[in-house]
Amino acid sequence: MSELLQIGSRHNRPAPPKPEDLTLKFSPKAVAELEALKGHYPDLKSLILPALWIAQREYDGHLSGAALAEVAFRLKRSYAEIEGVATYYSMYNVEHKVGKHKIEVCTCLTCAVCGAYQVFDYLKQKLGVEDRETTADGMFTIEEVECLDACDRAPVLQVGDEYLGPVDERAVDALIEKLRNTQESTVVKLADEIVQVHLSATDKQKVSKG
Amino acid sequence: MAEKKLLLEHASDPKYATLDGYLAKSGYNGLRAALGMDRQAVIDQIKASGLRGRGGAGFPTWIKWNGIEKQKTGPVYLICNADEGEPGTFKDKQLMEETPFLLVEGMTIAAHATQADAGYIYIRGEFVDSARALRKAIDEAYARGYLGKNILGSGLNFDLYLHMGAGSYECGEESALMSSLMGERGMPRLKFPHAPLPTVSGAWSRPTIINNVETYACAPFILQNGGAWYASLGASTKNSRGTKIFSVSGHVNKPGNYEIEFGTPLRDLLAMAGGMKGGQLKACIPGGSSVPMIDADDTNKAILGYEEMADVKSMVGSGGCIFLNEHTCIVTFIWRTALFYANESCGKCTPCREGTQWILQILERIITGAGKADDIQLLKDVCAQIDGRSFCGLGDAAAWPVAGALRVFEDEFRYFIDHGHSIVSKPSMAGIR
Repeated sequence: MSELLQIGSRHNRPAPPKPEDLTLKFSPKAVAELEALKGHYPDLKSLILPALWIAQREYDGHLSGAALAEVAFRLKRSYAEIEGVATYYSMYNVEHKVGKHKIEVCTCLTCAVCGAYQVFDYLKQKLGVEDRETTADGMFTIEEVECLDACDRAPVLQVGDEYLGPVDERAVDALIEKLRNTQESTVVKLADEIVQVHLSATDKQKVSKG
Repeated sequence: MAEKKLLLEHASDPKYATLDGYLAKSGYNGLRAALGMDRQAVIDQIKASGLRGRGGAGFPTWIKWNGIEKQKTGPVYLICNADEGEPGTFKDKQLMEETPFLLVEGMTIAAHATQADAGYIYIRGEFVDSARALRKAIDEAYARGYLGKNILGSGLNFDLYLHMGAGSYECGEESALMSSLMGERGMPRLKFPHAPLPTVSGAWSRPTIINNVETYACAPFILQNGGAWYASLGASTKNSRGTKIFSVSGHVNKPGNYEIEFGTPLRDLLAMAGGMKGGQLKACIPGGSSVPMIDADDTNKAILGYEEMADVKSMVGSGGCIFLNEHTCIVTFIWRTALFYANESCGKCTPCREGTQWILQILERIITGAGKADDIQLLKDVCAQIDGRSFCGLGDAAAWPVAGALRVFEDEFRYFIDHGHSIVSKPSMAGIR
């Protein structure tokens, strides 16, 4: 029934799996990373944010209901709590599955006065999608975002773990061309990079030993 | 006045981000000096230096450090607020990427002064480059005995962790940041005097110090050269000491971070950034999007200092200085500012959650040519009803830029309402819906 009430909404809530359908997909490496991170905080609840980053990587860039349920299970928290946290932060892809590459264009103050809206319009037109939509081939998602704090390089955009700026229409063309030839998903790469910076050299040794 | 580089002196040297390069440029002399003093003496040096929080509020740093219990009853935490999100500000990004050891050393000094057991650097999720640079620095510091157990043989134990955010401006607010660190939605908590200060009960209900990146990065210089020396910088101002990094952006020829001594005129900062690009100076937002904008006349007479900026009815804030040229439509610019705050309001307090939306709707109808005659008064009323009525400063920060622009450029708003289009003939923000 709840699906009927959400037709066409961009704010779809992920549906939690039924308890009997719960499957655990974290790789042994992810489990070891989570275990290593437990030493960083006084309680399990504080692991929610890093654990969601791990889940975003393990679930191919998308925090589906199953992904949230797995985080809840592993941290002994409720599904509702995990969903509440995940939907609060804009970098967790909860509401919809994003494409292989997510292009985030800053249109905040300095970027806006330096031509970010023209760049974003060009990108929309070039890919034939609107803000927060994904191209039909599942390759690109574009998103208008708030200040990326690189105003000296305005207008700036972010793809995965990289900033690019100042950008113009030619730079957008070159970027799209480059990303089409990039096999690895930059969305997954970003999540992985963020997980890795949490881990100290000693943590990484523990993880590689299993 | 010219630039006065203290924190950024060696920033352009890639070796400075390695431990050996840092040690070669008198790195860790501040910590060595601190370890030779007792804890209170370190705090006294910070007090003598007159250092104030660089994140925006300008709260005296020593009061926080001094507020931690002297007889430890359990763990004490240090937090570094590296959730830089204020539009126009990008100083912490450069500090973390190019001078990561300043932050690590500064936090270790604070750990010694407050007997802290663990430190957390809360970095916004987008700043992967900053996090990678810090990760490298922290790993190197651990391997060489500058972090961990028995630091430099002094008996000091201190662990330092990185914690990444996930995209939320609100998490730059200290109580929201602590909520986020503890694995919650990044929403603010009640503050003093309604709740204890973080130094009494902060993260995990334990005494906690929370300072900005730039604030911690000042500590090594203060301990190395003495608080009195640091206080001699900026002595021309009423109560602003030391240097401050300003992030200059907008319509200038050379945008970037410029470190100056307090007391430097704002117009000198503009000159350092290569002057205006594409037209005459029209307005300046001197301290990040939250502070009221000032016009060209005030920009020419403003002196950079916490109290001095009040003379032109603005603030130093976080140091994000946006200069706008004559082709900028102020009404559209303020609409974009309002959109930012409406997007980033966490939704906890009604005045901010609803008020930011109302401001946005009123401004939206003005810039689409449907403004009503009494809209200016309505905007002023809504701003007054948000200001001071929410848990954290985001509500105030949403109201100030609108109220500030109405103070200086009310004519421009009235023109837009009366004529249905901007007073500026070719606005530089073309492309807006």
